[in-house]
Amino acid sequence: MLGPIRSELTRLRQPRLLVIWFGLMALFALMINTIMVRFVSGGGSMPPGAPGVAFPTLADMESASGLMAGLAAASNMFGIVTLSLWAVVTAGDYGSGLIRLLVAAEPRRWRLLAGKVVALLIGTAAATTVAAIVNVVAIMPAAQAAGISTAAWGTDLVEVVGGAWLNLYLALCAWGVLGLVIATLARSAAVAIAVGVGYVLVVESMVKMLKDVPSDWLLGTTLGAVAKGGTDAVSYGTAITLAFGYVVLGLVIAGAVFVRRDVTD
Amino acid sequence: MSDSPIVTTTELTRRFGPITALDRLTVELPSAGVIGLVGPNGSGKSTLIRILLGLIRPSGGGATVLGTSTGTPQTYASRVGVLIESPAFIPALSARTNLVSLARLRHLPLERVDAVLAQVGLAGRDREPVKRFSLGMKQRLGIAAALLSDPELLILDEPTNGLDPAGIVEIRELLRDLGRNGRTVIVSSHQLSEIEAVCDHLVVIRFGKLIFSGPMAEMMSRTREHIDIATEHAADMARLEAALVAAGWAVTAVDDVLRVAAGAARAADLNRAATAAGITLSRLVVAQDNLEEIFLEMTGRVDGELANGRAAVEGKVA
Repeated sequence: MLGPIRSELTRLRQPRLLVIWFGLMALFALMINTIMVRFVSGGGSMPPGAPGVAFPTLADMESASGLMAGLAAASNMFGIVTLSLWAVVTAGDYGSGLIRLLVAAEPRRWRLLAGKVVALLIGTAAATTVAAIVNVVAIMPAAQAAGISTAAWGTDLVEVVGGAWLNLYLALCAWGVLGLVIATLARSAAVAIAVGVGYVLVVESMVKMLKDVPSDWLLGTTLGAVAKGGTDAVSYGTAITLAFGYVVLGLVIAGAVFVRRDVTD
Repeated sequence: MSDSPIVTTTELTRRFGPITALDRLTVELPSAGVIGLVGPNGSGKSTLIRILLGLIRPSGGGATVLGTSTGTPQTYASRVGVLIESPAFIPALSARTNLVSLARLRHLPLERVDAVLAQVGLAGRDREPVKRFSLGMKQRLGIAAALLSDPELLILDEPTNGLDPAGIVEIRELLRDLGRNGRTVIVSSHQLSEIEAVCDHLVVIRFGKLIFSGPMAEMMSRTREHIDIATEHAADMARLEAALVAAGWAVTAVDDVLRVAAGAARAADLNRAATAAGITLSRLVVAQDNLEEIFLEMTGRVDGELANGRAAVEGKVA
Protein backbone atom coordinates (compact mmCIF):
# COMPACT_ATOMS: atom_id res chain seq x y z
CA MET A 1 0.00 0.00 0.00
CA LEU A 2 3.00 2.28 0.52
CA GLY A 3 3.85 2.12 -3.19
CA PRO A 4 0.79 4.02 -4.46
CA ILE A 5 1.18 6.62 -1.69
CA ARG A 6 4.86 7.25 -2.40
CA SER A 7 4.17 7.28 -6.13
CA GLU A 8 1.42 9.86 -5.72
CA LEU A 9 3.55 11.99 -3.39
CA THR A 10 6.29 11.99 -6.03
CA ARG A 11 3.83 13.23 -8.64
CA LEU A 12 2.55 15.91 -6.25
CA ARG A 13 5.99 17.51 -6.18
CA GLN A 14 5.15 19.77 -9.09
CA PRO A 15 6.61 23.19 -8.26
CA ARG A 16 3.87 25.14 -10.01
CA LEU A 17 1.09 23.13 -8.41
CA LEU A 18 2.54 23.57 -4.93
CA VAL A 19 3.22 27.29 -5.43
CA ILE A 20 -0.39 27.80 -6.56
CA TRP A 21 -1.82 25.66 -3.74
CA PHE A 22 0.24 27.07 -0.87
CA GLY A 23 0.32 30.52 -2.44
CA LEU A 24 -3.47 30.74 -2.58
CA MET A 25 -3.76 29.51 1.01
CA ALA A 26 -1.25 32.14 2.13
CA LEU A 27 -2.91 34.85 0.05
CA PHE A 28 -6.37 34.12 1.41
CA ALA A 29 -5.05 33.91 5.00
CA LEU A 30 -3.37 37.29 4.57
CA MET A 31 -6.37 38.84 2.85
CA ILE A 32 -8.98 37.53 5.23
CA ASN A 33 -7.09 38.68 8.31
CA THR A 34 -6.57 42.15 6.93
CA ILE A 35 -10.22 42.54 5.95
CA MET A 36 -11.58 40.78 9.03
CA VAL A 37 -9.70 43.01 11.46
CA ARG A 38 -10.85 46.18 9.72
CA PHE A 39 -14.40 44.86 9.47
CA VAL A 40 -14.64 43.84 13.13
CA SER A 41 -12.90 46.95 14.49
CA GLY A 42 -15.25 49.08 12.42
CA GLY A 43 -18.27 47.50 14.10
CA GLY A 44 -19.54 45.69 11.02
CA SER A 45 -21.85 42.70 11.20
CA MET A 46 -22.30 39.87 8.73
CA PRO A 47 -25.53 39.76 6.71
CA PRO A 48 -27.42 36.49 7.16
CA GLY A 49 -26.52 33.83 4.61
CA ALA A 50 -23.45 35.65 3.39
CA PRO A 51 -21.46 33.31 1.21
CA GLY A 52 -17.84 32.33 1.60
CA VAL A 53 -16.77 34.01 4.86
CA ALA A 54 -18.16 34.45 8.38
CA PHE A 55 -16.43 37.08 10.56
CA PRO A 56 -16.41 36.90 14.37
CA THR A 57 -17.62 39.61 16.74
CA LEU A 58 -15.22 42.04 18.41
CA ALA A 59 -15.58 40.10 21.69
CA ASP A 60 -14.65 36.87 19.96
CA MET A 61 -11.68 38.57 18.32
CA GLU A 62 -10.37 39.79 21.65
CA SER A 63 -10.71 36.37 23.28
CA ALA A 64 -7.91 33.78 23.30
CA SER A 65 -9.30 32.13 20.17
CA GLY A 66 -9.24 35.46 18.30
CA LEU A 67 -5.63 34.75 17.30
CA MET A 68 -6.80 32.03 14.93
CA ALA A 69 -10.20 33.49 14.04
CA GLY A 70 -9.09 34.14 10.47
CA LEU A 71 -8.77 30.44 9.71
CA ALA A 72 -12.34 29.68 10.68
CA ALA A 73 -13.66 32.87 9.06
CA ALA A 74 -12.28 31.93 5.67
CA SER A 75 -12.70 28.19 5.94
CA ASN A 76 -15.01 28.02 2.93
CA MET A 77 -12.53 29.99 0.82
CA PHE A 78 -9.75 27.66 1.89
CA GLY A 79 -12.20 24.87 1.16
CA ILE A 80 -12.71 25.99 -2.42
CA VAL A 81 -8.94 26.16 -2.93
CA THR A 82 -8.56 22.66 -1.51
CA LEU A 83 -11.45 21.29 -3.56
CA SER A 84 -9.93 22.81 -6.68
CA LEU A 85 -6.45 21.39 -6.09
CA TRP A 86 -7.74 17.91 -5.29
CA ALA A 87 -9.87 18.11 -8.44
CA VAL A 88 -6.93 19.29 -10.58
CA VAL A 89 -4.70 16.48 -9.33
CA THR A 90 -7.43 13.84 -9.78
CA ALA A 91 -8.68 14.96 -13.18
CA GLY A 92 -5.13 15.63 -14.38
CA ASP A 93 -4.52 11.89 -14.55
CA TYR A 94 -7.35 11.60 -17.05
CA GLY A 95 -6.36 14.70 -19.02
CA SER A 96 -2.77 13.55 -19.49
CA GLY A 97 -3.68 9.92 -20.13
CA LEU A 98 -1.52 8.93 -17.16
CA ILE A 99 -4.47 7.04 -15.71
CA ARG A 100 -3.95 4.31 -18.35
CA LEU A 101 -0.37 3.78 -17.24
CA LEU A 102 -1.28 3.84 -13.55
CA VAL A 103 -4.13 1.35 -13.84
CA ALA A 104 -2.05 -0.94 -16.05
CA ALA A 105 0.74 -0.86 -13.44
CA GLU A 106 -1.57 -1.25 -10.45
CA PRO A 107 -4.85 -2.88 -11.52
CA ARG A 108 -6.14 -2.89 -7.93
CA ARG A 109 -7.66 0.48 -8.53
CA TRP A 110 -8.79 1.02 -4.95
CA ARG A 111 -5.10 1.11 -4.03
CA LEU A 112 -4.50 3.90 -6.53
CA LEU A 113 -7.44 5.85 -5.14
CA ALA A 114 -6.37 5.27 -1.54
CA GLY A 115 -2.81 6.30 -2.42
CA LYS A 116 -4.07 9.50 -3.99
CA VAL A 117 -6.30 10.31 -1.01
CA VAL A 118 -3.50 9.75 1.52
CA ALA A 119 -1.02 11.80 -0.53
CA LEU A 120 -3.52 14.63 -0.89
CA LEU A 121 -4.28 14.48 2.86
CA ILE A 122 -0.56 14.99 3.47
CA GLY A 123 -0.53 17.88 0.99
CA THR A 124 -3.59 19.36 2.67
CA ALA A 125 -1.87 19.16 6.07
CA ALA A 126 1.02 21.17 4.63
CA ALA A 127 -1.36 23.69 3.04
CA THR A 128 -3.26 24.06 6.33
CA THR A 129 0.04 24.70 8.10
CA VAL A 130 0.94 27.39 5.57
CA ALA A 131 -2.44 29.08 6.16
CA ALA A 132 -2.03 28.85 9.95
CA ILE A 133 1.47 30.35 9.88
CA VAL A 134 0.45 33.21 7.59
CA ASN A 135 -2.63 33.75 9.77
CA VAL A 136 -0.54 34.20 12.90
CA VAL A 137 1.99 36.39 11.14
CA ALA A 138 -0.69 38.58 9.54
CA ILE A 139 -3.18 39.05 12.33
CA MET A 140 -0.83 40.45 14.98
CA PRO A 141 0.16 43.70 13.26
CA ALA A 142 -3.28 44.07 11.70
CA ALA A 143 -5.04 43.79 15.07
CA GLN A 144 -2.62 46.14 16.82
CA ALA A 145 -3.01 48.69 14.04
CA ALA A 146 -6.80 48.46 14.30
CA GLY A 147 -6.78 48.85 18.08
CA ILE A 148 -8.08 45.36 18.84
CA SER A 149 -6.85 44.04 22.18
CA THR A 150 -4.51 41.10 21.81
CA ALA A 151 -3.90 40.66 25.55
CA ALA A 152 -5.71 37.31 25.71
CA TRP A 153 -4.09 35.82 22.60
CA GLY A 154 -1.25 34.12 24.42
CA THR A 155 -3.58 32.15 26.68
CA ASP A 156 -3.70 28.41 25.97
CA LEU A 157 -1.61 29.08 22.89
CA VAL A 158 -0.90 25.49 21.91
CA GLU A 159 -4.50 24.44 22.44
CA VAL A 160 -5.86 27.40 20.47
CA VAL A 161 -3.45 27.10 17.57
CA GLY A 162 -3.54 23.30 17.48
CA GLY A 163 -7.34 23.22 17.76
CA ALA A 164 -7.81 25.78 15.00
CA TRP A 165 -5.34 23.93 12.76
CA LEU A 166 -7.02 20.59 13.37
CA ASN A 167 -10.54 21.93 12.82
CA LEU A 168 -9.55 23.65 9.59
CA TYR A 169 -7.67 20.58 8.45
CA LEU A 170 -10.66 18.30 9.03
CA ALA A 171 -12.94 20.68 7.14
CA LEU A 172 -10.46 20.97 4.26
CA CYS A 173 -10.12 17.20 4.03
CA ALA A 174 -13.87 16.98 3.51
CA TRP A 175 -13.72 19.76 0.89
CA GLY A 176 -10.91 17.92 -0.84
CA VAL A 177 -12.82 14.66 -0.94
CA LEU A 178 -15.71 16.53 -2.54
CA GLY A 179 -13.33 17.76 -5.25
CA LEU A 180 -11.99 14.25 -5.76
CA VAL A 181 -15.48 12.79 -6.05
CA ILE A 182 -16.68 15.33 -8.63
CA ALA A 183 -13.42 15.06 -10.61
CA THR A 184 -13.67 11.27 -10.63
CA LEU A 185 -17.24 11.43 -11.88
CA ALA A 186 -16.66 14.21 -14.42
CA ARG A 187 -13.01 13.41 -15.24
CA SER A 188 -12.62 17.17 -15.50
CA ALA A 189 -11.05 19.65 -13.08
CA ALA A 190 -12.96 22.55 -14.63
CA VAL A 191 -16.30 20.87 -14.05
CA ALA A 192 -15.35 19.94 -10.48
CA ILE A 193 -14.27 23.49 -9.64
CA ALA A 194 -17.34 25.01 -11.28
CA VAL A 195 -19.65 22.68 -9.36
CA GLY A 196 -17.84 23.32 -6.06
CA VAL A 197 -17.71 27.09 -6.35
CA GLY A 198 -21.21 27.27 -7.78
CA TYR A 199 -22.54 25.17 -4.92
CA VAL A 200 -20.97 27.26 -2.15
CA LEU A 201 -21.55 30.68 -3.65
CA VAL A 202 -24.94 30.13 -5.25
CA VAL A 203 -26.81 26.96 -4.32
CA GLU A 204 -26.11 26.89 -0.60
CA SER A 205 -26.63 30.64 -0.21
CA MET A 206 -29.99 30.40 -1.97
CA VAL A 207 -31.12 27.48 0.17
CA LYS A 208 -30.12 29.41 3.29
CA MET A 209 -32.43 32.23 2.22
CA LEU A 210 -35.42 29.89 2.35
CA LYS A 211 -36.68 30.30 5.91
CA ASP A 212 -38.77 27.14 5.93
CA VAL A 213 -35.96 24.84 4.74
CA PRO A 214 -33.48 23.64 7.37
CA SER A 215 -29.98 24.49 6.15
CA ASP A 216 -27.78 23.43 9.04
CA TRP A 217 -26.94 20.11 7.39
CA LEU A 218 -25.70 21.67 4.16
CA LEU A 219 -22.11 20.87 3.24
CA GLY A 220 -20.69 24.39 3.46
CA THR A 221 -22.49 25.10 6.73
CA THR A 222 -21.39 21.78 8.18
CA LEU A 223 -17.77 22.19 7.21
CA GLY A 224 -17.81 25.82 8.35
CA ALA A 225 -19.02 24.57 11.73
CA VAL A 226 -16.22 21.99 11.83
CA ALA A 227 -13.65 24.71 11.09
CA LYS A 228 -15.06 26.92 13.85
CA GLY A 229 -15.20 24.08 16.36
CA GLY A 230 -19.01 24.25 16.36
CA THR A 231 -21.54 27.09 16.05
CA ASP A 232 -24.75 28.10 17.76
CA ALA A 233 -26.72 26.30 15.06
CA VAL A 234 -24.56 23.18 14.69
CA SER A 235 -22.64 21.64 17.56
CA TYR A 236 -19.08 20.45 16.97
CA GLY A 237 -20.10 16.82 17.48
CA THR A 238 -22.95 17.08 15.00
CA ALA A 239 -20.76 18.87 12.47
CA ILE A 240 -17.99 16.27 12.76
CA THR A 241 -20.48 13.41 12.42
CA LEU A 242 -22.13 14.98 9.39
CA ALA A 243 -18.79 15.77 7.77
CA PHE A 244 -17.61 12.22 8.36
CA GLY A 245 -20.79 10.97 6.74
CA TYR A 246 -20.21 13.22 3.71
CA VAL A 247 -16.62 11.99 3.40
CA VAL A 248 -17.53 8.32 3.66
CA LEU A 249 -20.39 8.71 1.18
CA GLY A 250 -18.13 10.60 -1.21
CA LEU A 251 -15.34 8.04 -1.02
CA VAL A 252 -17.76 5.16 -1.54
CA ILE A 253 -19.18 6.86 -4.65
CA ALA A 254 -15.73 7.78 -6.02
CA GLY A 255 -14.38 4.31 -5.25
CA ALA A 256 -17.28 2.49 -6.86
CA VAL A 257 -17.07 4.61 -10.00
CA PHE A 258 -13.29 4.46 -10.27
CA VAL A 259 -13.08 0.71 -9.73
CA ARG A 260 -15.91 -0.24 -12.06
CA ARG A 261 -15.69 2.24 -14.92
CA ASP A 262 -13.74 1.56 -18.11
CA VAL A 263 -10.53 3.50 -18.53
CA THR A 264 -10.98 4.64 -22.09
CA ASP A 265 -9.36 8.11 -21.92
CA MET B 1 11.01 -19.80 -25.33
CA SER B 2 7.86 -21.27 -23.81
CA ASP B 3 5.50 -23.29 -25.97
CA SER B 4 2.40 -21.98 -24.25
CA PRO B 5 0.90 -18.85 -25.84
CA ILE B 6 1.56 -15.59 -24.05
CA VAL B 7 -1.87 -14.21 -24.93
CA THR B 8 -5.02 -16.07 -25.83
CA THR B 9 -8.45 -14.75 -26.61
CA THR B 10 -11.54 -16.93 -26.94
CA GLU B 11 -14.66 -15.53 -28.58
CA LEU B 12 -13.58 -12.17 -27.16
CA THR B 13 -16.27 -9.57 -27.71
CA ARG B 14 -16.57 -5.95 -26.69
CA ARG B 15 -19.43 -3.67 -27.60
CA PHE B 16 -19.64 0.08 -27.13
CA GLY B 17 -23.34 0.80 -27.51
CA PRO B 18 -24.29 -0.24 -31.04
CA ILE B 19 -20.65 -0.61 -32.13
CA THR B 20 -18.99 -4.00 -31.85
CA ALA B 21 -15.31 -3.21 -31.42
CA LEU B 22 -14.26 -6.85 -30.98
CA ASP B 23 -16.38 -9.53 -32.53
CA ARG B 24 -15.78 -13.03 -31.11
CA LEU B 25 -12.05 -12.72 -31.61
CA THR B 26 -10.18 -15.96 -31.05
CA VAL B 27 -6.43 -15.88 -31.37
CA GLU B 28 -3.26 -17.20 -29.73
CA LEU B 29 -0.05 -15.20 -29.65
CA PRO B 30 3.22 -17.09 -29.26
CA SER B 31 5.75 -16.48 -26.49
CA ALA B 32 8.95 -14.65 -27.40
CA GLY B 33 9.62 -12.60 -30.46
CA VAL B 34 8.05 -9.47 -31.83
CA ILE B 35 4.38 -9.67 -32.74
CA GLY B 36 2.79 -7.10 -34.99
CA LEU B 37 -0.81 -6.15 -34.32
CA VAL B 38 -2.20 -4.34 -37.33
CA GLY B 39 -5.55 -3.27 -38.65
CA PRO B 40 -7.21 -0.15 -40.03
CA ASN B 41 -8.42 2.64 -37.73
CA GLY B 42 -11.33 1.37 -35.66
CA SER B 43 -10.45 -2.26 -36.25
CA GLY B 44 -10.34 -3.04 -32.52
CA LYS B 45 -6.58 -3.03 -31.84
CA SER B 46 -6.77 -0.53 -28.99
CA THR B 47 -9.80 -2.25 -27.49
CA LEU B 48 -7.93 -5.56 -27.50
CA ILE B 49 -4.89 -3.98 -25.82
CA ARG B 50 -7.07 -2.30 -23.18
CA ILE B 51 -8.79 -5.57 -22.34
CA LEU B 52 -5.43 -7.33 -22.03
CA LEU B 53 -4.30 -4.64 -19.59
CA GLY B 54 -7.50 -4.70 -17.52
CA LEU B 55 -8.44 -1.14 -18.47
CA ILE B 56 -11.78 -2.27 -19.87
CA ARG B 57 -13.81 -5.44 -19.47
CA PRO B 58 -15.05 -7.63 -22.30
CA SER B 59 -18.75 -7.90 -23.10
CA GLY B 60 -18.32 -11.59 -23.84
CA GLY B 61 -15.73 -14.31 -24.24
CA GLY B 62 -12.45 -14.25 -22.41
CA ALA B 63 -8.73 -13.67 -22.64
CA THR B 64 -5.58 -14.71 -20.83
CA VAL B 65 -2.24 -12.98 -20.49
CA LEU B 66 0.76 -15.03 -19.33
CA GLY B 67 -1.66 -17.85 -18.61
CA THR B 68 -3.90 -15.79 -16.32
CA SER B 69 -7.38 -14.47 -17.00
CA THR B 70 -7.68 -10.77 -17.75
CA GLY B 71 -10.29 -10.72 -14.99
CA THR B 72 -7.40 -10.61 -12.50
CA PRO B 73 -4.82 -8.34 -14.14
CA GLN B 74 -3.07 -7.76 -10.80
CA THR B 75 -1.61 -11.26 -11.08
CA TYR B 76 0.38 -10.40 -14.20
CA ALA B 77 0.64 -6.59 -14.19
CA SER B 78 4.19 -6.63 -12.79
CA ARG B 79 5.30 -8.82 -15.72
CA VAL B 80 3.83 -6.57 -18.40
CA GLY B 81 5.14 -3.22 -19.65
CA VAL B 82 2.98 -0.88 -21.69
CA LEU B 83 3.03 2.14 -23.91
CA ILE B 84 -0.57 2.95 -24.77
CA GLU B 85 -1.23 5.50 -27.50
CA SER B 86 0.74 8.66 -26.74
CA PRO B 87 3.20 8.63 -23.84
CA ALA B 88 1.50 10.04 -20.73
CA PHE B 89 3.58 11.94 -18.21
CA ILE B 90 3.33 14.96 -15.95
CA PRO B 91 4.89 17.73 -18.07
CA ALA B 92 6.15 19.80 -15.14
CA LEU B 93 8.16 16.93 -13.67
CA SER B 94 11.48 15.72 -14.98
CA ALA B 95 11.80 12.50 -16.94
CA ARG B 96 13.54 10.94 -13.95
CA THR B 97 10.86 12.01 -11.45
CA ASN B 98 8.13 10.67 -13.71
CA LEU B 99 9.89 7.32 -13.89
CA VAL B 100 10.63 7.33 -10.14
CA SER B 101 6.91 7.80 -9.53
CA LEU B 102 6.13 4.75 -11.66
CA ALA B 103 8.96 2.74 -10.09
CA ARG B 104 7.57 3.47 -6.63
CA LEU B 105 4.10 2.43 -7.72
CA ARG B 106 5.52 -0.91 -8.86
CA HIS B 107 7.82 -1.27 -5.83
CA LEU B 108 10.89 -1.34 -8.08
CA PRO B 109 14.44 -0.37 -7.08
CA LEU B 110 15.37 3.09 -8.33
CA GLU B 111 18.41 1.61 -10.12
CA ARG B 112 15.92 0.47 -12.78
CA VAL B 113 15.25 4.12 -13.59
CA ASP B 114 18.90 4.69 -14.52
CA ALA B 115 18.99 1.44 -16.46
CA VAL B 116 15.99 2.20 -18.66
CA LEU B 117 17.01 5.83 -19.19
CA ALA B 118 20.33 4.56 -20.54
CA GLN B 119 18.58 1.89 -22.60
CA VAL B 120 16.50 4.45 -24.51
CA GLY B 121 19.25 7.06 -24.77
CA LEU B 122 17.83 9.64 -22.36
CA ALA B 123 20.44 9.36 -19.61
CA GLY B 124 21.80 12.86 -20.23
CA ARG B 125 18.43 14.58 -20.40
CA ASP B 126 16.71 12.94 -17.44
CA ARG B 127 16.67 16.04 -15.20
CA GLU B 128 14.79 18.17 -17.73
CA PRO B 129 11.05 18.66 -17.39
CA VAL B 130 9.11 16.51 -19.82
CA LYS B 131 7.37 19.60 -21.21
CA ARG B 132 10.66 20.53 -22.90
CA PHE B 133 10.91 17.17 -24.62
CA SER B 134 10.24 16.68 -28.32
CA LEU B 135 7.62 14.13 -29.33
CA GLY B 136 10.38 11.66 -30.12
CA MET B 137 11.96 12.10 -26.67
CA LYS B 138 8.57 11.61 -25.03
CA GLN B 139 8.18 8.45 -27.06
CA ARG B 140 11.53 7.19 -25.80
CA LEU B 141 10.48 8.03 -22.27
CA GLY B 142 7.25 6.09 -22.82
CA ILE B 143 9.27 3.07 -23.91
CA ALA B 144 11.53 3.54 -20.86
CA ALA B 145 8.44 3.47 -18.64
CA ALA B 146 7.31 0.28 -20.35
CA LEU B 147 10.71 -1.34 -19.75
CA LEU B 148 10.89 -0.25 -16.11
CA SER B 149 9.74 -3.54 -14.59
CA ASP B 150 11.97 -5.57 -16.95
CA PRO B 151 8.79 -7.23 -18.20
CA GLU B 152 8.30 -10.56 -19.93
CA LEU B 153 5.63 -9.03 -22.15
CA LEU B 154 5.81 -5.56 -23.67
CA ILE B 155 2.75 -4.04 -25.30
CA LEU B 156 3.67 -1.00 -27.36
CA ASP B 157 1.15 1.08 -29.25
CA GLU B 158 2.83 3.05 -32.07
CA PRO B 159 6.30 2.99 -30.47
CA THR B 160 8.02 4.84 -33.31
CA ASN B 161 5.44 7.61 -33.52
CA GLY B 162 7.19 10.99 -33.71
CA LEU B 163 10.69 9.59 -33.94
CA ASP B 164 13.13 10.81 -36.56
CA PRO B 165 14.60 8.23 -38.98
CA ALA B 166 17.63 7.62 -36.75
CA GLY B 167 15.35 7.19 -33.75
CA ILE B 168 13.16 4.75 -35.68
CA VAL B 169 16.19 2.63 -36.52
CA GLU B 170 17.31 2.69 -32.85
CA ILE B 171 13.90 1.66 -31.56
CA ARG B 172 13.65 -0.99 -34.26
CA GLU B 173 16.96 -2.46 -33.07
CA LEU B 174 15.80 -2.23 -29.46
CA LEU B 175 12.59 -4.12 -30.26
CA ARG B 176 14.54 -6.76 -32.16
CA ASP B 177 16.94 -7.18 -29.22
CA LEU B 178 14.08 -7.46 -26.76
CA GLY B 179 12.39 -10.08 -28.91
CA ARG B 180 15.63 -12.02 -29.34
CA ASN B 181 16.33 -12.02 -25.60
CA GLY B 182 13.30 -14.08 -24.71
CA ARG B 183 10.74 -11.34 -24.24
CA THR B 184 7.53 -11.04 -26.16
CA VAL B 185 6.85 -7.64 -27.68
CA ILE B 186 3.42 -6.86 -29.10
CA VAL B 187 3.65 -3.84 -31.38
CA SER B 188 0.56 -2.12 -32.64
CA SER B 189 1.44 0.20 -35.48
CA HIS B 190 0.18 1.86 -38.61
CA GLN B 191 3.68 1.92 -40.06
CA LEU B 192 3.60 -1.36 -41.90
CA SER B 193 7.16 -1.01 -43.10
CA GLU B 194 8.18 -1.02 -39.43
CA ILE B 195 6.05 -4.07 -38.73
CA GLU B 196 7.52 -5.83 -41.73
CA ALA B 197 11.03 -4.95 -40.59
CA VAL B 198 10.84 -6.14 -36.98
CA CYS B 199 8.01 -8.60 -36.48
CA ASP B 200 8.26 -12.38 -36.37
CA HIS B 201 4.53 -12.92 -36.09
CA LEU B 202 1.62 -10.95 -37.42
CA VAL B 203 -1.99 -10.51 -36.33
CA VAL B 204 -4.35 -8.65 -38.62
CA ILE B 205 -7.81 -7.65 -37.41
CA ARG B 206 -10.59 -5.81 -39.17
CA PHE B 207 -13.99 -4.82 -37.76
CA GLY B 208 -12.97 -6.66 -34.58
CA LYS B 209 -12.56 -9.95 -36.40
CA LEU B 210 -9.38 -11.90 -36.99
CA ILE B 211 -8.18 -11.73 -40.59
CA PHE B 212 -4.79 -13.34 -40.17
CA SER B 213 -2.57 -14.68 -37.41
CA GLY B 214 0.68 -16.43 -38.20
CA PRO B 215 4.39 -16.06 -38.81
CA MET B 216 5.44 -13.04 -40.81
CA ALA B 217 7.10 -15.39 -43.29
CA GLU B 218 3.75 -17.05 -43.95
CA MET B 219 2.16 -13.69 -44.59
CA MET B 220 4.96 -12.62 -46.90
CA SER B 221 4.67 -15.90 -48.81
CA ARG B 222 1.34 -14.53 -49.98
CA THR B 223 3.13 -11.82 -51.87
CA ARG B 224 2.94 -11.76 -55.62
CA GLU B 225 5.00 -10.17 -58.27
CA HIS B 226 3.70 -7.20 -60.20
CA ILE B 227 5.05 -5.11 -63.01
CA ASP B 228 5.07 -1.32 -62.87
CA ILE B 229 5.15 0.36 -66.29
CA ALA B 230 5.22 3.94 -67.50
CA THR B 231 4.90 5.31 -71.02
CA GLU B 232 7.36 7.58 -72.79
CA HIS B 233 4.62 10.20 -73.17
CA ALA B 234 2.30 10.79 -70.22
CA ALA B 235 -0.63 11.30 -72.57
CA ASP B 236 -0.38 7.64 -73.60
CA MET B 237 -1.03 6.28 -70.10
CA ALA B 238 -4.82 6.20 -70.35
CA ARG B 239 -4.69 4.69 -73.86
CA LEU B 240 -2.27 2.00 -72.72
CA GLU B 241 -4.41 1.18 -69.67
CA ALA B 242 -7.48 0.77 -71.89
CA ALA B 243 -5.56 -1.38 -74.37
CA LEU B 244 -4.17 -3.66 -71.65
CA VAL B 245 -7.53 -4.06 -69.91
CA ALA B 246 -9.12 -4.90 -73.29
CA ALA B 247 -6.42 -7.54 -73.76
CA GLY B 248 -7.28 -9.11 -70.40
CA TRP B 249 -4.50 -7.74 -68.19
CA ALA B 250 -5.32 -6.73 -64.60
CA VAL B 251 -4.19 -3.11 -64.42
CA THR B 252 -4.32 -0.52 -61.64
CA ALA B 253 -3.13 3.07 -61.93
CA VAL B 254 -0.81 3.77 -58.98
CA ASP B 255 0.65 7.26 -58.77
CA ASP B 256 2.48 7.83 -62.09
CA VAL B 257 2.68 4.19 -63.18
CA LEU B 258 0.36 1.40 -64.25
CA ARG B 259 0.64 -1.61 -61.97
CA VAL B 260 0.00 -4.87 -63.80
CA ALA B 261 -0.69 -8.03 -61.84
CA ALA B 262 1.83 -10.28 -63.53
CA GLY B 263 5.20 -11.85 -62.84
CA ALA B 264 8.57 -11.49 -64.50
CA ALA B 265 7.72 -14.32 -66.93
CA ARG B 266 5.16 -12.10 -68.63
CA ALA B 267 7.25 -8.93 -68.85
CA ALA B 268 8.09 -9.53 -72.50
CA ASP B 269 4.41 -10.14 -73.37
CA LEU B 270 3.52 -6.91 -71.65
CA ASN B 271 6.16 -5.01 -73.60
CA ARG B 272 4.89 -6.53 -76.87
CA ALA B 273 1.28 -5.56 -75.99
CA ALA B 274 2.36 -1.97 -75.48
CA THR B 275 4.30 -1.95 -78.75
CA ALA B 276 1.28 -3.45 -80.58
CA ALA B 277 -0.77 -0.51 -79.29
CA GLY B 278 1.84 1.86 -80.72
CA ILE B 279 3.10 2.96 -77.32
CA THR B 280 6.72 3.06 -76.20
CA LEU B 281 7.44 2.20 -72.58
CA SER B 282 9.92 4.33 -70.66
CA ARG B 283 9.89 2.08 -67.63
CA LEU B 284 9.17 -1.57 -66.91
CA VAL B 285 9.98 -2.79 -63.37
CA VAL B 286 9.20 -6.21 -61.92
CA ALA B 287 8.60 -5.97 -58.17
CA GLN B 288 7.25 -7.95 -55.23
CA ASP B 289 4.18 -6.86 -53.23
CA ASN B 290 5.13 -5.58 -49.77
CA LEU B 291 3.22 -5.99 -46.53
CA GLU B 292 1.38 -2.73 -47.09
CA GLU B 293 -0.05 -3.96 -50.37
CA ILE B 294 -1.09 -7.30 -48.90
CA PHE B 295 -2.57 -5.50 -45.90
CA LEU B 296 -4.59 -3.13 -48.05
CA GLU B 297 -5.87 -6.02 -50.11
CA MET B 298 -6.95 -7.84 -46.94
CA THR B 299 -8.43 -4.94 -45.05
CA GLY B 300 -9.69 -2.45 -47.64
CA ARG B 301 -7.93 0.32 -49.51
CA VAL B 302 -9.35 3.53 -48.16
CA ASP B 303 -10.95 4.80 -44.99
CA GLY B 304 -14.23 5.42 -46.84
CA GLU B 305 -14.37 1.78 -47.85
CA LEU B 306 -13.70 0.79 -44.25
CA ALA B 307 -16.35 3.15 -42.94
CA ASN B 308 -18.88 1.79 -45.40
CA GLY B 309 -17.87 -1.73 -44.52
CA ARG B 310 -18.35 -1.08 -40.81
CA ALA B 311 -21.72 0.56 -41.42
CA ALA B 312 -22.75 -2.49 -43.42
CA VAL B 313 -21.58 -4.76 -40.63
CA GLU B 314 -23.60 -2.73 -38.15
CA GLY B 315 -26.64 -2.99 -40.42
CA LYS B 316 -26.80 0.75 -40.94
CA VAL B 317 -26.88 0.63 -44.70
CA ALA B 318 -28.96 -1.48 -47.01
